[in-house]
Amino acid sequence: MAEMVRKSSVDEIINHWLLAGSCILLALTGFAFLFHLDGVAGVFGGYNVMKDVHNWLGVIFALSLLYSMRHYLKDAFEYDADDLQWFKVAGGYLSHKVKVPPMGKYNPGQKLYYLAIVAAGIAITASGLGMWLMKDDATVMMYSHLIHNLAFVIFAIAVPVHIYLGTLANPGTFKLMVSGTLPLEEAKRRYPKWMKAEGRM
Amino acid sequence: MANESNSRKAILVTPEICIGCRACQVACKSWNQLPASKTKNNGTYQNPPDLESNTFNIIRFTEVPSQETPVRWLFVSRRCMHCEDAGCVKICPSGALYKTAEGAVAFDRDKCIGCKLCSTGCPFDVPRYDKEGKVSKCHLCFDRIAANMAPSCVKTCPTGALKYGDRAELIAEAKKNGYATIYGENDLKGLGSVYAFKEEPKLYGLKENPALPSSVAFWHSYLKPLSWIGLGGVVAAAAIHYLAIGPHKEEKEEV
Repeated sequence: MAEMVRKSSVDEIINHWLLAGSCILLALTGFAFLFHLDGVAGVFGGYNVMKDVHNWLGVIFALSLLYSMRHYLKDAFEYDADDLQWFKVAGGYLSHKVKVPPMGKYNPGQKLYYLAIVAAGIAITASGLGMWLMKDDATVMMYSHLIHNLAFVIFAIAVPVHIYLGTLANPGTFKLMVSGTLPLEEAKRRYPKWMKAEGRM
Repeated sequence: MANESNSRKAILVTPEICIGCRACQVACKSWNQLPASKTKNNGTYQNPPDLESNTFNIIRFTEVPSQETPVRWLFVSRRCMHCEDAGCVKICPSGALYKTAEGAVAFDRDKCIGCKLCSTGCPFDVPRYDKEGKVSKCHLCFDRIAANMAPSCVKTCPTGALKYGDRAELIAEAKKNGYATIYGENDLKGLGSVYAFKEEPKLYGLKENPALPSSVAFWHSYLKPLSWIGLGGVVAAAAIHYLAIGPHKEEKEEV
């Protein structure tokens, strides 16, 4: 058995799946509200129950997003020269021939993705609470409805990119979000700067 | 049945010949089995003061200064306008608000989730909510008109200030009778409650140039489609990327 490195803690993995699960269900029910998908509403026994499910899933999502900040927020604000170079070669995703600079624990694409999710998450949570709890305030309703949908567009675009990059585009990555560990040799190849900082290479 | 565009019905209100008897209010309550509300006299015959969850139409009483008489007393029927381009139908997330074949904006109370977004979509401040938070408003007696009967308010109107029928015919007739201004002829792609005036509609307190709230129009035209176009676009791009460039390959040795 090869020596393993733990990249994600157990609470991080559990929280990630809470975030992912609530996010996907929220998007599904959100699309059902947007486009009157009676089939989806029928699964919940109608739009009335689906509304309650959507609202409370939102609470889970918001709490989970808040908790995730202890895992990612600090890293998400730190960028160096290699990160800049990473953008210039588009992370190596557009060609296998380019040389991708050495990365730390997270690449800048992941870090920016996280910031986008935090920003859109705060917007969608605040506006969702506005529509849920301040129905009689016309101004709050108007802006909340608009902001909720604007933030939703960000989710509808960013989340599938994240899912693709975390599964098909990077074989082996999905496993990391289940077990949280990867072989040391692989970690050295993928996250050399992180491994150096940890004193393991 | 006639084709869709010719089947659009409407209520034509001619405030000039309204005598303010409010039989329309009573008939509406009667047909729709709506209880009365206790109100207080606040110095006007307008009662209740505005639309309520159990009051689908009211006669609005307006007093305006006049040269000939000490005061002019104007009556105008206030109700759902049954917009062709109905903001409430657009914004309703559960499909509880819908348009009937006759062009009425009706609602399915059981489907209503009580989100109150229809208030945001309505340019005329029409939707009201009952004690359980469900939407409630004039539905043009969609049950009666589907059976080729006039709405109850029209049926009872003693002067012809309320008329129901083919929308295009009603408008043509009103113009022929010398009513130069048809309020709602083209606003919001044509209202289902149209008003015939010889004077300015704003004299009667009607909203000038009614339109969908710009936030609702923007949301409907751009944000709503962008959500699925965005999602679909990413899925398509990911598929192309996977096939054309392929997944990341682990380099066994540094090149």
